[in-house]
Amino acid sequence: MSDLDDHDSNLVPPKRRVVLGFQDVEDMNVPDLPTEPLPLNMGPSHPAMHGTVRMVMEVEGEKISSADIQIGYLHRCFEKESESATWTQIFPYTDRLNYISPMLNNIGYAMAVEKLLGIADTLPERAQYIRVIVGEVSRITDHLTCLGASAMELGAFTVFLYALKAREWIFELLEEICGARLTVSYLRIGGVAADMPEEWGKELLAVLARVREVMVDISKLLDRNRIFRDRMDGIGLITREDALAYGITGPVGRSTGLAYDVRKDHPYLVYDRFDFDVPVGSVGDNFDRYAVRVEEIVQSMRIIEQALAQIPPGRWMHPDPRITLPPKAETYNSIEAMIAHFKLIMDGIHVPPGEIYSYTEAGNGELGFYIVSDGTGRPWKCRVRPPCFPATAVLGKVLPGLFIADVVPTFGMMNMIGGECDR
Amino acid sequence: MTATPNTPPPPNANPTTGAPAAPDTITLIIDGKSVTVPKGTMLIEACNQNGADVPFFCYHAGLTSPAVCRQCLVDVKGQPKPVPSCYTPVADKMEVFTKSPRALDVRRQMLEFTLVNHPIDCPICDKAGECMLQKHYFDWDAKLARNDGVKVKKDKVVDLGPHIVLDQERCILCTRCIRVCDEVAKNHQLEMAQRGDHEVLTTAPGHRLDNPYSLNTVDVCPVGALTSKDFRFSMRVWELSTTPSVCPGCATGCNVEVHHSRGKVYRLIPRLNMAVNKHWMCDEGRFTYKRVHKDRLAAPLSGGVPVEWDRALADAGRLLRAALDANPAEVGVVMSAQSTNEDLYALAKLTFDHLGLGKAYLSGQDQGWSDDILVSADKNPNTAGAMAIGAGRLRTLLDLANDIKSGALTTLLVVGTHGVLGKDGAPGALPLGKLKTLVVIGTHRDAVAGAAQVALPLTEWAEAEGTFTNRLGMVQRIRAAVPPAGDALPGWDILSNLARNLGATMEFTDAKTVFTEAKSKLPFMKDADWGRRYLPVQLRFAGTRG
Repeated sequence: MSDLDDHDSNLVPPKRRVVLGFQDVEDMNVPDLPTEPLPLNMGPSHPAMHGTVRMVMEVEGEKISSADIQIGYLHRCFEKESESATWTQIFPYTDRLNYISPMLNNIGYAMAVEKLLGIADTLPERAQYIRVIVGEVSRITDHLTCLGASAMELGAFTVFLYALKAREWIFELLEEICGARLTVSYLRIGGVAADMPEEWGKELLAVLARVREVMVDISKLLDRNRIFRDRMDGIGLITREDALAYGITGPVGRSTGLAYDVRKDHPYLVYDRFDFDVPVGSVGDNFDRYAVRVEEIVQSMRIIEQALAQIPPGRWMHPDPRITLPPKAETYNSIEAMIAHFKLIMDGIHVPPGEIYSYTEAGNGELGFYIVSDGTGRPWKCRVRPPCFPATAVLGKVLPGLFIADVVPTFGMMNMIGGECDR
Repeated sequence: MTATPNTPPPPNANPTTGAPAAPDTITLIIDGKSVTVPKGTMLIEACNQNGADVPFFCYHAGLTSPAVCRQCLVDVKGQPKPVPSCYTPVADKMEVFTKSPRALDVRRQMLEFTLVNHPIDCPICDKAGECMLQKHYFDWDAKLARNDGVKVKKDKVVDLGPHIVLDQERCILCTRCIRVCDEVAKNHQLEMAQRGDHEVLTTAPGHRLDNPYSLNTVDVCPVGALTSKDFRFSMRVWELSTTPSVCPGCATGCNVEVHHSRGKVYRLIPRLNMAVNKHWMCDEGRFTYKRVHKDRLAAPLSGGVPVEWDRALADAGRLLRAALDANPAEVGVVMSAQSTNEDLYALAKLTFDHLGLGKAYLSGQDQGWSDDILVSADKNPNTAGAMAIGAGRLRTLLDLANDIKSGALTTLLVVGTHGVLGKDGAPGALPLGKLKTLVVIGTHRDAVAGAAQVALPLTEWAEAEGTFTNRLGMVQRIRAAVPPAGDALPGWDILSNLARNLGATMEFTDAKTVFTEAKSKLPFMKDADWGRRYLPVQLRFAGTRG
């Protein structure tokens, strides 16, 4: 297919042309119907654009000559809104950043505030383990959704149903631990809202075993599937240099061979206690991104199994009464706890003045929170570095030269999440 | 005087630098930091002025200190026990530790004592959010209760007087309210009764809490024991925003904070100004906010019918123009001592400079009661400004009535209708029916506006930017706290538009341009300062009220 790019100046007149069919390479080099570049809109509301994003492309026949990626359709003023919410009230907003893996956003935000508070090193161990477990579980749901949806857009509807079936098992477990499948708001500054239910770990292990089976099925359906491979292999190439220049991290960055994973390179929580690998790609095409995500699901399961084996008993919230709400029974029955509850809810946790950039590995890569506090119960500034923003930005460079049909798998593998990218 | 190594330092020298201090100052060490304060300063003031942040309940900068709450205890080197810093004058070379473990511990224990009998009322308490007990407990203790004994029951709703309700259970017995009555209102109306944990606040025998400064007790109450009948249960305080302004109730011009939310004023609170009102204001002044939201003229009226601004201004201009063309000597203007200097300046400029009218009158609320504390007999906030701007050209309301009766005046422009008809507001006080033309720029739907051919809505004091001149001649800034009622506009703006309809050129774009021009022309305003721009601060962010 690369012949398409090698225009022979002797054969091709300077005029634009369309290609009607390609039974034979010779055919394609024969100049036929003369035509003009055609502007083509995809999105912001398009069945194959899972995320409200608009692409204004210029096509020459089926071939894209330029692409303008326009984001912002899901802008919700996250950053400005945060300035009038208490530190704790921001958790529900972070749920809606990458809404496929809300726990990971919760973790990224909570850790930023905790570093500013100076309690990052004194967090209860159990809380850290719980965070790792729910975070990795969320990474699995994130990748399952990305793989399933992308496969469906390429016609493999079965894979979508299998992947979402597995995701549903996990969502049910999340519902057990925090009461919500998606809008979890499970973390708190200083820990997590509630302990893991009893037997939850065992249920999780049982679910992971079934997810493994699903992953085998998915691999069997896709890995050697001719249609799938044809549309993934060699499409949407990103070089390591481009990945670095754009600041792309996460599975997309790793597909280009960059072995950067915040969990490994700057371990947080208790990630340095686990044995896991960081998969990298060799080509940087769509199939590498698919393969990296499949392997990351496997690695996440390894981490969860180790964490469940190591998790110690104990408290799941920081003991500082100026950070942690008193028990409800105390609140209703003693003035001391009532005042503490009132101050924490109405005034918010008082975070000392200062600024911090804190980053964690979210589903799409390095999720950063840059937070400035002026000492009150609300952030003065709360800025997010969305990991899928650079991955979406690079589409403007990757898409030209591809066919219209390549947009769908390439965009799908970037896993642009509107809530996160647009904030 | 220079200290040399050979001469010993003077007795009140700075202990760390050895530099001599001025004879009327004292140098002491607070938390390892050398501090110099005037002689006679209380230790708590020396500490808090230098950032030591010593908590307190019973101490108040405007009152004497009885040292009853024991919340300001600090350690002083050489003293066997922690001392109450509100009751201890600074002494030379004193070494003070405000955060020694012992000081922190005794303060925590005092808080624990205070909380033993405190009811669990925060969700229904009006003070929650600006409560000093909440603040100090959370800042200095924040530990859970160690005691689950039964709390002492006291009376929850005690009607102390016309404006105030007492909840005895919430009272922490700091006696601030008693001292406000004794020292500010000079009226002993409150007392403590009983002993120990049965001690309660109550009225003095034969008294009610009905002095004209009674609502100051609500301000100084560190908890929600004393609540204002007017404000209680109407708004959660942290939802309020504050805008600094000046009370329009009398010529004293007490500095106030206007507390408002979503376009509605909820209360006025005194703002510290040692030159005018210190920490206090009178009860009467607190209720001046009510007129901002009552019976307002919200739309321009022409012939009694609501119309667009353009139409109303054109009608007013046409009526006045016809009268001026017929006989300018029969046209008069009524200025109000309730208006800001800016409105008065614009009106005086239109009246005297552009139209050359000879008949101008000064209106205002009738005289009332006064005392030698704060309340002034002149119930208008800007009489001094109006007199200065009028510069002897203003006549009285009695002259106005006579001129109308005699037929010397047939056309009248009234700007500000407060008090034009006297205290009872009866339409018969002024024979307005005898006028051929009456144009009113007014704030309220009163009898004057009702008698007018054209009535134009004017902003009230809480909606306007401008300045008032108080009885001491101080030009004080008022600021718009809430948006204008309906279509109301500031006076200078209406007059600029009216001038255009009368063929005169008077272009003012905002209150500050009027102020700047007035300042350059009027000697009494030459030292006035417009001040900086001020955005309302939400009380939850202010961090100043508990």
